[in-house]
Amino acid sequence: MVANIKDKAVICGIGNTEFSKNSGVSELNLAVRACKAALDDAGLSPADVDGMVTFTMDTSDEIEVARALGVGEMTFYGRAHYGGGAATATLHQAAMAVATGMAETVLCYRALNGRSGHRFSSGVSGTITTADAIHWGWYTPYGLLTPASWVGMFTQRWMHLTGVTKDALYEVAKATRDYAANNPAAFFHGQTFDRAEYDAQRMISTPLQLFDCCQESDGGSAVLVTTPERARDLRQSGVAIRGVAQCAARDQEQMTSFYRQEFAGIPEMERAARDAYAMSGLGPEDIDAAVIYDAFSSIVLWQLEAWDFCGFGESGDFVQDGALRPGGRLPVNTHGGQLSEAYIHGVNGIVEAVRLVRGTSVNQPAKTVEHALVTSGVGIPTGGALLGKQD
Amino acid sequence: MNDEQQQAFEQCLYRFVGRQVCARTAAKDAVNEAMIRHWAETVGDANPAYTDAQWAARSARGRIIAPPAMMYSWNQEGFPVVAQGRAPDAQTELVDLFNENGFTGVLGTNVKQEYYKEIGLGERVHLEMVIDNISEQKATARGIGYFFETLASFSDQHGDLIGTQRFRVLKFIPPETAAAADGGGAEQDTLQTPTRIAAPRGHDNSWWWEACDQGQVLIQRCRNCQTLRHPPRPMCGECQSLDWDSIESCLEGELLSFTELHHPRIPGYPLPLICGVIRLREGVNLVANIVGAEEQALAIGMRVQGKVEQVDEKTMLPQFYPAENGVEK
Amino acid sequence: MTDYRTLAFEEVEVGDKLPSLEIEITTGLIVSTALATRDFEPVHHDKAVAQATGLPDVFMNILTSQSFMTRFVTDWSGPEAVVKSVDIRLGAPNVPGMVMTVTGRVQAKDDDAGEVEVAVAGENNIWGMHMEGCVRLQLPGS
Ligand SMILES: [Zn+2]
Repeated sequence: MVANIKDKAVICGIGNTEFSKNSGVSELNLAVRACKAALDDAGLSPADVDGMVTFTMDTSDEIEVARALGVGEMTFYGRAHYGGGAATATLHQAAMAVATGMAETVLCYRALNGRSGHRFSSGVSGTITTADAIHWGWYTPYGLLTPASWVGMFTQRWMHLTGVTKDALYEVAKATRDYAANNPAAFFHGQTFDRAEYDAQRMISTPLQLFDCCQESDGGSAVLVTTPERARDLRQSGVAIRGVAQCAARDQEQMTSFYRQEFAGIPEMERAARDAYAMSGLGPEDIDAAVIYDAFSSIVLWQLEAWDFCGFGESGDFVQDGALRPGGRLPVNTHGGQLSEAYIHGVNGIVEAVRLVRGTSVNQPAKTVEHALVTSGVGIPTGGALLGKQD
Repeated sequence: MNDEQQQAFEQCLYRFVGRQVCARTAAKDAVNEAMIRHWAETVGDANPAYTDAQWAARSARGRIIAPPAMMYSWNQEGFPVVAQGRAPDAQTELVDLFNENGFTGVLGTNVKQEYYKEIGLGERVHLEMVIDNISEQKATARGIGYFFETLASFSDQHGDLIGTQRFRVLKFIPPETAAAADGGGAEQDTLQTPTRIAAPRGHDNSWWWEACDQGQVLIQRCRNCQTLRHPPRPMCGECQSLDWDSIESCLEGELLSFTELHHPRIPGYPLPLICGVIRLREGVNLVANIVGAEEQALAIGMRVQGKVEQVDEKTMLPQFYPAENGVEK
Repeated sequence: MTDYRTLAFEEVEVGDKLPSLEIEITTGLIVSTALATRDFEPVHHDKAVAQATGLPDVFMNILTSQSFMTRFVTDWSGPEAVVKSVDIRLGAPNVPGMVMTVTGRVQAKDDDAGEVEVAVAGENNIWGMHMEGCVRLQLPGS
């Protein structure tokens, strides 16, 4: 069990830039605008910020963002590693800093030109010089170069073991498309979608076809985290971080843990879920809605199992019974997710989870959302956060 | 280009939609044996429908036909284009407008011909062409640009439609970096066949790849507790010993999963290409390509047999084939 | 005289693969086919002009790519087949020294029209996809 920082940090502001396929501006520009939007949302000024967290992969340094934004002294700055696994890890670090008093108000941000700049779909390049180059070397000669190829390998085995079919993958994609159709900020806003269109798309890496894969987008998202005391005086009602956790499990690799004895699973997320539930005192039955990291359709299913909304292999039936839909057991990715709104590495998902708790999602479920789950990318070290209305 | 400039440019640009590139014009030559034979020889097309009068007379058509793919050729301007350049028309004006505004890059992206009627010797192809549509501004892999599409209609001497051709062209702003990076010109005269992206070799893994180059797949073994481990790493996770040796794998195994790669295409990789995870008989997993079978013939749990093989000029890799005695329980 | 056979519509199944075709790309081929299609654009016969566009050498013109695509399909179908359309997405240029491999597979059948749709890809060994698309053919009934 990890330390308990339940409700010791509160999300008081959220911000997105517009999402597009060609921002025409720098990633720093996107980062700064997303951060400013989060500050405006909270009614705070850059001078109030004394901490920042972003992704290791982000190209906009904290001090560059600080200079552009006009932030003064920062007493805490940190980065979270492992691609989309860093999404809620930013909250994790911000909450730890706020809970311990190392900082009072921390900006979490992520901004990327994921479509007009470097595209993940183009694969890991031959000139990687990072420390994990040796690791990638066990895959690149065989052609396993892209996230879709790694996730395809996991998905094929998981479907074999569970008997879950493409019907379930389609339902995950279809649910996000239907939500996105109603979200003006989403790439697929106003567009219809059906099984025939899904089936007609090109194969990317079996069994994943085009619409099993997320968008590639330009844009930025930011979330502002502060103390419960300060949050009470601000413009928006606070959204407390009830539980937050991350985990890198045994024999973990980045997206390629193929050397585990059984690799069709995400034990790191199971551990993070246990810790987040324990910290918050909540269980799956208390969660009213969720934003589940959806770089690919299949990974949503595994996470539903890891967070105990259903048992191993039962997520197919769970989603096909309509659970993800507006009136379902667990409305999921109500903004359209990364499959259908935009791919901002999961931080647009934190923004949506905050909206769900505030009651301001464009697809707000009819029921009261007391608690929402938001998760990070899987296949890598990962985690999640449980959010609720501040008391 | 700021928003206002872009608006002004697009106002000029979209006026080109619907403009005629050329009015209906007869080809200089009627469909004839000589030009068809020239085409058939160079393309290596032995189809007797184009060149064998005797066969054609007995065929369902009862006559020689022009190769459909030649439809556009009959009206090509030919050598004067080299000597005098192309006469100005709506398309050259459109291209000039793009060029003046920085969209100097050009790339033909799609061409679609539809054929409604076959034509025979002595018939004469007539061509007319319009600028059919221009896209909104797009961010493409080449750069920011616009697609425009010309529509050519081909008719015979009676005015009956023979076919159409839609040609889609991207005009884009070439990234400056690309020009700078290749020194502004193409001096590379020799083309190299691309190879697989090799694993970088360091202290902890070079011995494995060197053995692979020699045709062997080794498995690292802890000298203290005998635990096998792959991929190689410096310390045994069971007993923390730094002392290790290796054994050679028999490359017999069971297929734990596989995925067939279709997209994106990366130079050096013949797609579709199947990757699999194999549980070797020694007990460790190995990622490698599965060859010698279609994806439909593979099943998780199936027995496979590996061999280290040369896959391109520079690369030796283990590859696995379905084992002869089928699926394991 | 060679007896040319033409496939009947009923003989063809969706999923059938066509025998692949390898084409060695030489300067002679590029120049000859360009001229045979009456394409005298200098980039298809003058290396210096081609190089000024950033390519290493002269490159194949589009009418020739269309020609190889129809040839590839009618080589398989036989001469009584009627080509109805050729729809191509263009990729990397074909330049001397390359080998282009053309492959194809029947992807659809239209029983009413007696037409088959063949997906075709021409890939060169250096830069990958040169052309990709589909050819529609009308085949005689058995
Ligand atoms: Zn040991």
